[in-house]
Amino acid sequence: MDFQFPQILAQSGPMVLAAFVTIYVGLMSCFLGLVIGTALLLLQRTNIRVVRGLVRIYSSFIRGTPALVQILVFYYALPPLIGIDIGPMTAGILAISFNSGAYVAEILRGGLSRISSGQLEAATALGLRRFLVWRKIILPQVYHSVIPLLVNEFTMVIKITPLLSTITVVELTREAQYLITSTFRPVEVLTIAAVLYFIICFSISQLGEVLQRRSLKFRM
Amino acid sequence: MEFDFSAIWDSRNLLAEGLATTLFISVVAVPVSIVLGAAIVLMRISGNLILRSVATAYVEAIRNTPFLIQIFMVFYALPFVGIRLSGLPTGILCLSIYGAAYFAEIFRGGIESVPKGQFDACKSLALPYGFYMRRMIVPQLYKYIIPPGTNIALTMIKESSLLSMITVAELTYVAHDINGRTFSPVESFTVIALLYWLVSTLFLFVAEWLQSRTGHVQEDSPMIVR
Repeated sequence: MDFQFPQILAQSGPMVLAAFVTIYVGLMSCFLGLVIGTALLLLQRTNIRVVRGLVRIYSSFIRGTPALVQILVFYYALPPLIGIDIGPMTAGILAISFNSGAYVAEILRGGLSRISSGQLEAATALGLRRFLVWRKIILPQVYHSVIPLLVNEFTMVIKITPLLSTITVVELTREAQYLITSTFRPVEVLTIAAVLYFIICFSISQLGEVLQRRSLKFRM
Repeated sequence: MEFDFSAIWDSRNLLAEGLATTLFISVVAVPVSIVLGAAIVLMRISGNLILRSVATAYVEAIRNTPFLIQIFMVFYALPFVGIRLSGLPTGILCLSIYGAAYFAEIFRGGIESVPKGQFDACKSLALPYGFYMRRMIVPQLYKYIIPPGTNIALTMIKESSLLSMITVAELTYVAHDINGRTFSPVESFTVIALLYWLVSTLFLFVAEWLQSRTGHVQEDSPMIVR
């Protein structure tokens, strides 16, 4: 078989643009995921038992079902249920955010367990309000200690985004499928797509490792 | 808005077949990827530069590209080189290749936590490679690799849902099929979500039970593998 990489490469402009859509979806989902994860972390620690139970069921559900099925549920099942027609992009970003949120909550919980409970007690003894204790003292430390893991989570989110092509979001994978149908050179097109994904994910994970090394150095 | 689960109930045989296919894929692919992962990690820790680079490239390529792209790649590229496989074998092949990279990473993490002096000691006693790996190193690894290994196996069960994209008739494909025939998106997708949840919960339950039996209790590690 003969490859036609130069010809396909010349037509791969839309794919590079679509890669930015992938990054945009990733950034949005990651940000929302962080918000949801933090909310879940705080809800896990309330005194209301029902809320704690619900959070546990939520995270077990998210971790026990495939991301693809979650996306399909969000896209097909949510609009009839709530009566609002959200577009594929919104549904996709929401699905990935809620997926990522459960994992982010788990990461943050790990970070929180490394902070001594004395800090919470000291801050409370100083008469700070609960809200201030968390916002000014506990959460900044938690975030700082889990930055590398959050960066890793971002690559995970990027690797989920291709699933959005199934619900007609035009991101990198969908664009690649268009190019496959118009050129019928799947091997070349998919190789270019894989290289683009690799560049995104590998550079993020390398950044994560650098951050990890730096945070280790500062802890010494 | 009212729900009509009768369409789902009418398709219960299809759903059961889909669930069986999902389980079959996982039951075949997980052991294959464990063996493949072990082979890759042996390449990765070997002294041979070529073997080491090939293994590293493999692991990084798999871990840094989405599974969907890998599936399409294998599904579309194999016919170009003259290999024609139907959906199911292709799917199992893809899932095994994917899982192997993650298992290799876990095994490497375990081996790196064994003190280097032990390798030196074994070598200086002139023990054969296969012997000391099997009898000295591997038995120490279980407590490092079983908890994250469980996670990877669970991830593989979940990722098998993507094989619906290459016409493997597993659970997600069946849901698309039911939805296409009866137009009941809410019911069909929620039902399969619940089925996947059931499978994962049962799997984790059994895994935890086995771990408590063998004494390899899952530690509450901050490292999340998915």
